[in-house]
Amino acid sequence: MLQRSAVALNSGLPADEAALIRAAQGGDQDAFAQLVYVYDQSVLKLAMNLLRSPEDARDVYQEAFLRVFRNLNNFRFDCSFHTWLYRIVTNLCLDQMRKRKVRREEPTVLTASDGPLDRMDSVQEERVEGDPQRHLFSGQLRTRIKSVLEGMTPRERMVFELRHYQGLRLRRIGEILGTTEEAAKNCLFRATQKMRAALGDFV
Amino acid sequence: MNPMNEARTDKNADKNMDCAQVRMHFALLLYGELSFDEEEHVDAHLDGCALCRLELERQKALHAAFDEFAVEPPASLLRECRADLAAAMRQGLGPRAPKVHWWEGLRGFLGASALLRPAAAFALLLVGFVGARLLPSVGDGIFAGSIFTGANQAGLSRVSDVEAQPDGSVRIVVDQIQRRTITGGLDDQQIRTRLLDAVRDPNNPGLRADSVDLLSRRAQSAEIRSELAYLVVHDQNDGVRLKAMEGLKPWVTDPEVRVALSQALLGDANPGVRTQAIDLLIQGPAGNSAPNLDRATIGMLQQFVSQERNASVRQRAEKVLELMNASAEIY
Repeated sequence: MLQRSAVALNSGLPADEAALIRAAQGGDQDAFAQLVYVYDQSVLKLAMNLLRSPEDARDVYQEAFLRVFRNLNNFRFDCSFHTWLYRIVTNLCLDQMRKRKVRREEPTVLTASDGPLDRMDSVQEERVEGDPQRHLFSGQLRTRIKSVLEGMTPRERMVFELRHYQGLRLRRIGEILGTTEEAAKNCLFRATQKMRAALGDFV
Repeated sequence: MNPMNEARTDKNADKNMDCAQVRMHFALLLYGELSFDEEEHVDAHLDGCALCRLELERQKALHAAFDEFAVEPPASLLRECRADLAAAMRQGLGPRAPKVHWWEGLRGFLGASALLRPAAAFALLLVGFVGARLLPSVGDGIFAGSIFTGANQAGLSRVSDVEAQPDGSVRIVVDQIQRRTITGGLDDQQIRTRLLDAVRDPNNPGLRADSVDLLSRRAQSAEIRSELAYLVVHDQNDGVRLKAMEGLKPWVTDPEVRVALSQALLGDANPGVRTQAIDLLIQGPAGNSAPNLDRATIGMLQQFVSQERNASVRQRAEKVLELMNASAEIY
């Protein structure tokens, strides 16, 4: 018989995360599914924002959770599960970004059945369509932001993403990336300086 | 060395930072990452420097501009990812269990020789294939309605224990998981209850959006309308809130719906949702734009115009008020 999960399905709350992890380590796939549920949206969002490619984000998602699944018994609670998971995800993303730097890929445009599609188009962009001036401004700003993000080193990009979009504190970012809070702070500082230099005239 | 400190010449500079030094701190100030002392020095400088206050405002605007660049993965992508993960796990890419299972012994034995590795891989594949297809099902499974949402209906089996018996035979315990499918009309109470459960699933916006879509077809039910109105105000996902609003379109005269739309208009963080709220609040019962708005709606739009920061959305509300010959301002 399957072991019963300690937490009801779909509660969505990481209230007793340690119990979930222990249950998953003991082979309770229900508990593992709960862990995936708690974190997978933010993992996918991180990968998507960093890699700007649904295909790459999908690969990272799968590889990250499979690694977690395979290595869960090695997790010893000496850091939070979130930190451990994010270490795996950020390493996979950094590898991907570094490969891209070498290959000089242009990952943001793909060909869909109805023509070329810019993967960076988002819901927000659609909503300004009714206002041509704002649409133009928004388009220029996005192009500029895209360009400056591509000009950042993978580490700067990663720290910026984790701090600005994922809202993690620098101390936690340092833990995830295996560095100090101070180093993460310097990285964020360099990233924001680049942003400011490139976008200063837009605001 | 922290690059922010490079410009400092002596300890007194901390007490009397010049403008360039202060501005170097703005980015980290906005992230709340300055130390208490650093923030104190910046605040002290800002108190007496209008130019730096202005620059800080520019930095805040830049900061906010980044937010518009965030990509929210589509719900369909999340569903596909979960299905992929489920499929990969079904193929036996599971965790290393604390106990050594028989297939690991087999893998270890065959893995001893590089030449035999392909045979080991094939054997494991065969085990997964046969196990997934031949073993009997045992009803509701652990992944039903959870991680494997969107995956196919195939059963999932997993050997959880093996034991040699005294008579030479082998006892194998197999966990068998199978998803269950329920089919029925939207008027079927069981279907309706499941859909109402699904729209409350906090972790799957795609599932919520699809369920909202289906429930909207029965929004004449007060229970469903009430649920959709709740989602308009409380759902975390922009797409789900918009979908719930769409479903309430024919019911904009319902008082509970109007309250929800008013709350969305005045409190939603997403300009698209606020725009949709305007459109629905001014809509007449037959779907047309109402020629005469009641005083409460006009007052609400006036309040909205006074607080709205997004020019495009504000102009939309102003245009409505203009058509109503109402002032855009509150006197």
